[in-house]
Amino acid sequence: MTIIEDISSAVMRGKKKEVKPLVQQALDEGIAAEVILNEGLVPPMGIIGDKFSAGEAFVPEMLVAARAMAAGTEVLKPHLAEEGAEPVGKAVIGTVKGDMHDIGKNLVRMMIESKGFEVADLGVDVAPEQFVTFLQEHEDTDIVCCSALLTTTMPAIKATIDAIEAAGLRDQVKVMVGGAPVTQAFADEVGADAYTADAGAAAVRAVELVRG
Amino acid sequence: MLTPRQNLLECIRGGHPDRYVNMFEAFSPMIPGNPLLDPTLNEEGFMIDEWGATFRTIEGQPGFFPVHEPGRIVCTDITEWKDQVTPPGDVSDPALWEAAAAAAAQVDRSEKFVCCALIPGVFERLHHLHEITETLADLYEEPEAIHELIEVIVDWELRLAEAICTYVKPDAIFHHDDWGTQISTFMAPEMFEEFLLEPYKRIYGYYKDHGVELIIHHSDSFGETLVPYMIEMGIDIWQGALRATNDIPALIDRYGDRIAIMGGIESQVIDKPDWTEEEARREVEAAFDAIPRTTGFIPCLTSGADTGGYPGIYEYVTQLIDERSERDFAQ
Repeated sequence: MTIIEDISSAVMRGKKKEVKPLVQQALDEGIAAEVILNEGLVPPMGIIGDKFSAGEAFVPEMLVAARAMAAGTEVLKPHLAEEGAEPVGKAVIGTVKGDMHDIGKNLVRMMIESKGFEVADLGVDVAPEQFVTFLQEHEDTDIVCCSALLTTTMPAIKATIDAIEAAGLRDQVKVMVGGAPVTQAFADEVGADAYTADAGAAAVRAVELVRG
Repeated sequence: MLTPRQNLLECIRGGHPDRYVNMFEAFSPMIPGNPLLDPTLNEEGFMIDEWGATFRTIEGQPGFFPVHEPGRIVCTDITEWKDQVTPPGDVSDPALWEAAAAAAAQVDRSEKFVCCALIPGVFERLHHLHEITETLADLYEEPEAIHELIEVIVDWELRLAEAICTYVKPDAIFHHDDWGTQISTFMAPEMFEEFLLEPYKRIYGYYKDHGVELIIHHSDSFGETLVPYMIEMGIDIWQGALRATNDIPALIDRYGDRIAIMGGIESQVIDKPDWTEEEARREVEAAFDAIPRTTGFIPCLTSGADTGGYPGIYEYVTQLIDERSERDFAQ
């Protein structure tokens, strides 16, 4: 196996302690940081995401793979900066007001990060005005991701989008929505730009949104 | 006409119920199974449980939600759990159980099962202490420490079980532990087997060995892949089975001689502040139409309580189930 394949294998197996020295070894061998990222660290996350969508992988596998990838990315960061690599895009994420369920939100954050996004995580129970304030302070944000796990908190998704609209910020960001009770029909109804059923698909869609 | 207790046993044992078991009708009002849990909110608006875990309420929503902000996580590093986690104290003092014993004494056991409720279970306790994302990752990254902390939680559960069986002598245990999301289990079945099967065999085995006739386990989630383990643990009734993602008729046909399914009426669809009779009727009828079974199935809202989250919904669903019984059991 090549060193790149070793890195991918370690990410797939969620072995963050293996990933760090392998990434360092690859750098020492003269492989560009961007190549290590795009060919070693990112592809296995896509595979795990697909397995999750198919019910063949579960949250723990996603989490440890994402952490392994993050460990490798940490080693690469100074080198990526030197090479002038830019993030694919910038996103802000949170569960909407009244909703405390953060597993899905965390998975989406990790999967979007794995695609090269810089993601600000506002946490759970995020009020519409908190999203608005963030966008006002971070005008280069490309995507707002908000989720609800309860039917009773779904209206807060609409309230969030309405608040972004009212603040005059709607044209500068794309809004992605998700959560177990959320559907494409609901997303259409509240004026979201995208809905996906799971974290892996969310990451793919996020890239599509910023690349137009 | 069978008593609610008799009717439930006929239903879950493949006999001849004379009507649907109407949600929790066969059980006494839930008797709290943990006298050390004080749901009072402190001055900061938090509820602190007997392990030190923090919870909060959200306006307009029923229940408590765990809080894992910095400074409010009991176990920040699973490898340090021995220094960070302090199990609750002694529960063997009979004075702690006087109210529960008195509540049990009020129940006509020929009519209903005396039922103790235990919330949360082993997995939920684990992630209340350690935060769920960390917990799920540590199933892979620090499995030995997770096993060790589970042992401490099981020891607590068994101490409670001993006291409950000594002082309350329930006929049934209603035990919460959510094992999945609406679309998936939190972990692969093999991982569930590795971490949770044996602990629950010990807990539920204790109850069965000490006079408890029924174990009702609540998990309002997808969970059909875990049903073989539920049976092995000794669960008699899985309460909370979601109709949207579990093939309930297939589960009843395959496992109905060993476990009954209680649920199918989706709380998340109709248990909300602005529920309407029309919506509720549509949901209940859809549940019965999708699950045409008179044994092995207890129609019930999927949330884990003998009340609704919002006023009136539980009572209206009760009425609708009674109406359906009159139609389906007319002959």
